[in-house]
Amino acid sequence: MHPFSTLTLGIFVAGYITARWDLVTRLYELAIFAVEYGVVLRVARGIVVLTAFFLAIFVPVALLARRETTLHDGLMRVFWPTDIRKSDRTGVVVGWRNSTLDVFVVTILEDVDAHNVEFHLRSGTFFRSSPHSPSRIYELCGHSSMHVLGVSNAATQDAIDPSWVCAKASTSSRYPRISCAKASSIQLILYDRPRPKGMQYISLNPIALALGDKGTLPEDVASSEDDSEEAKHEKAIKENRRMLVEKLKQHSIVRRVASARDKALPKIVNQVNWSWELEQALQQNVGRLGPRPKRGLSVSERVVESATTMRNYVLVQLWTLFSVYLFPIVQKAFVLVLLFHRMVAEIFLIILEFRAKPGYAALKDISATAQQIEIRLQQFCYWPMQYVTLRQRKANWASVTTSHPDYIRFYNSLWLVANDVIIGMAVGSYIIEHKDWVADQIRDLLRTYTVEALQRGISWLMGWPAGLKLNGELAAFLGDLFLWVIDYWSSCIETLSPMLPHIIWFIGFSSFAGASMPIAMFSDLLSVLTLHIYSFYLASARIYHWQLTILRSLFHLFRGKKHNVLRNRIDSCDYDLDQLLVGTILFTLLFFLLPTVMVFYLNFAIARMIIISLKAGFDTLLSCLNHFPLFALMLRLKDPSRLPGGIHFELRDTHYPTTPDANDNLLNEPPTSIIYLKNIPLPFRDMFHQYFQMAHRIRKHYLSPRVLLCLVTGQFVPPINRKNLYSLQYSMLPARRATVWEMWRAVNTEIDIPQKKPFQMPNIPQLQNGGKRPTGFGRTRS
Amino acid sequence: MLTTAPRLRIRRPSPTTAEFTVTTLPPRTLALRLLWLLLLALRISLSLVALLILYARWTTPAGALLARIAASVSLPVLLPVAAAVFYALSLRVHKEESLLVLRGLGVQTSESPATYLAGAATRFIPTEKIQDILVNEAFLGFEVRYYLVVVVEGEENVVVVFPGLLPRRKIVETVWRGVRECLYEGRGEDRVDKSGS
Repeated sequence: MHPFSTLTLGIFVAGYITARWDLVTRLYELAIFAVEYGVVLRVARGIVVLTAFFLAIFVPVALLARRETTLHDGLMRVFWPTDIRKSDRTGVVVGWRNSTLDVFVVTILEDVDAHNVEFHLRSGTFFRSSPHSPSRIYELCGHSSMHVLGVSNAATQDAIDPSWVCAKASTSSRYPRISCAKASSIQLILYDRPRPKGMQYISLNPIALALGDKGTLPEDVASSEDDSEEAKHEKAIKENRRMLVEKLKQHSIVRRVASARDKALPKIVNQVNWSWELEQALQQNVGRLGPRPKRGLSVSERVVESATTMRNYVLVQLWTLFSVYLFPIVQKAFVLVLLFHRMVAEIFLIILEFRAKPGYAALKDISATAQQIEIRLQQFCYWPMQYVTLRQRKANWASVTTSHPDYIRFYNSLWLVANDVIIGMAVGSYIIEHKDWVADQIRDLLRTYTVEALQRGISWLMGWPAGLKLNGELAAFLGDLFLWVIDYWSSCIETLSPMLPHIIWFIGFSSFAGASMPIAMFSDLLSVLTLHIYSFYLASARIYHWQLTILRSLFHLFRGKKHNVLRNRIDSCDYDLDQLLVGTILFTLLFFLLPTVMVFYLNFAIARMIIISLKAGFDTLLSCLNHFPLFALMLRLKDPSRLPGGIHFELRDTHYPTTPDANDNLLNEPPTSIIYLKNIPLPFRDMFHQYFQMAHRIRKHYLSPRVLLCLVTGQFVPPINRKNLYSLQYSMLPARRATVWEMWRAVNTEIDIPQKKPFQMPNIPQLQNGGKRPTGFGRTRS
Repeated sequence: MLTTAPRLRIRRPSPTTAEFTVTTLPPRTLALRLLWLLLLALRISLSLVALLILYARWTTPAGALLARIAASVSLPVLLPVAAAVFYALSLRVHKEESLLVLRGLGVQTSESPATYLAGAATRFIPTEKIQDILVNEAFLGFEVRYYLVVVVEGEENVVVVFPGLLPRRKIVETVWRGVRECLYEGRGEDRVDKSGS
């Protein structure tokens, strides 16, 4: 107790006794009375009984409890940043205490008192001048304040809490040496601080480059549209797997409850991500803990200061002039232009997505060009929203990592469009300059491959190809039919051919909107100019398919059976003799004509397949231009920690100096394992995950036995659903685009943020100027 | 001679942290080291020769013999062959697979890659997600192999530890006991610091 308060108490007691002397005498009489009537004896007996009770029950319970508490593994886990400053001075270790023996070190504050630091940490002194609210830190790191975790390089072991960490870091040793009174073994986990300003972070799960709001949708579409048999098969496999997983669950004998330390991992990941900014804040504000001596400025410093103040003043005036008068006008104009653009885009989008009836094909489903225009327009609509969300990032701490994938997506799509335009300009200028040559080439190609090659093929088929004895009359009939249509088509092409240079010029001109545009247009041009092959394919497939069906039913008749439609099975049937006779004759006739028809069908089917694969090539090119993860690849090369793909640990060898110094007795170190926590950069495979998925989908669609069966029996091969094919391209766009009104609101709220700025901006040069001089007791700031 | 049957190496600096490594690298002896150096020299010289052939193909002949070789082989053959040679020269001689067990954090499996050019592939499983760790048996060809699996909660596939080497049953059992001891034995629940949160 303080001597002064003791004195006060003494004076009070003396005064009270003198004032109430009669009370004191009464008490004295009471005491004598109690002694006479054996009260003291009874009290003594009571005390003895209570002591016996205490010794018999409470002390063993307390001992047991202590043994139980020391029985827990005594494993201490210390997360330690690798870039912490090494010095021989005493300091206070500050960080997060996730549980008693699970601590996360953020920094060491040197030459300060631990209790003082604890008080200031609780009262939040360190974040008083921070630009953003510290509650976000506490929310993400899972604690209401930071904690003092221990001391470093302490001279004595007195006044150290048993759960405190005693660290011993010196400039010579690579790893700090940690001890703790409560710990029996230590995991020292070293981590590199990610730089939040450079958008580095770590995460347990790989970063998602695609927009996740409709991840399951394409699968659902695929499963609902695929033929029932395949879907059933897949479902059965899934069900089987689920059952196996359930069974495996029953195999585990002990269900272990995760301890607090196990559950802390997501919190720790957040703490790692925050550690750099927290360290900066703590080290900057450590001067607030004690009194700071103020030193008068020297003359030269004053001169420098007044000069810089003058410069700052001029800059500030210029800046306010710009930000108050010029900037709002420019901004408003830009917003209006954006909005106008958005409205025009909306009209185009409505036209492109118009369906006469739900379920019918829209314009964008038919034409690759329309699809391309639609993708670009959607991107233009999405950019302002993306930009606004990215701007909101600035209003918070840099360590909040939720917007980083958005950032990568935004700049990836911007960069892709810019690239597309650049390549498009090169391609476009080439095409425009050589439009006659290109048109000639295209005309030649068309004539050789879609007219002459077909004609040659058909005439070959008409004259007993490869020694096959086809039916001459039928072959001549079919061949003449096709040849006649081809003649007509080629004359049409000839009349169109003077137009071709103009069309090529138009395509070349359109490529200033991006190289993807001429590719899409060429893809469309290919489908238009090979329309005759498509129709031949359809016609021959129809004939072939009819013939096959007729043959099948006549075969049943030949066997004396028939297909019962009502029961969907083959029943035997009594035919009359004339029915059987005519049917059998027809069957033989059609059977002998089948090879001729089949040969023609195969010819056109192969041509059709070649065209489909050509278009698939164009589509692949388009998806490369629209979706290639260029920005992500560049980031992966430049700074792999911006693309986290998980974490991994590395066990380091512990090497200690063989000669123990005098201080080692202070630190009786428990066995320590040194582990290095590292970030795994996103593997390249994951970056192209969407491409693998698309390839898998295409392979599943076109190389399935069902499609082969369709081809053989002459049924129409259903083209792959465009929605499936283009899910890759739309994976960077939200499922539902923001309406014009939403965009207007978003853009207007965006204006609010820069309005705050002009008042903050002028301070920045002054702060820089003042920060050059060391303040405080020569503490170095890092 | 350069590799042995898979053998186990345990590093355990503290009772709650252990790394079990199964490797085909034999114990280091002087002869082995010499052989190792020789192999390295051979690899480097062979890759240099391959590089020189490629170089001679493109520009002025670096050596008469190499130039003749390079000129005699056509380019579509030369390039894949050169790529194959480089790949073969960068292959690792021995395999190494390890399991790192950290109490309170989880387990981590890692495999050494096929070539020297790639990094190790690791997979970290937090303790919360570990449903069970067990030894299972399976047919492989005409023999029965025992292998260690980690059952991960919420995943369809189990994670096989040491998938490439599939060491003998004795090693697997040792590792299994070690992992259980390291992760769970004598574990007391941590008291959450109420004063902080």
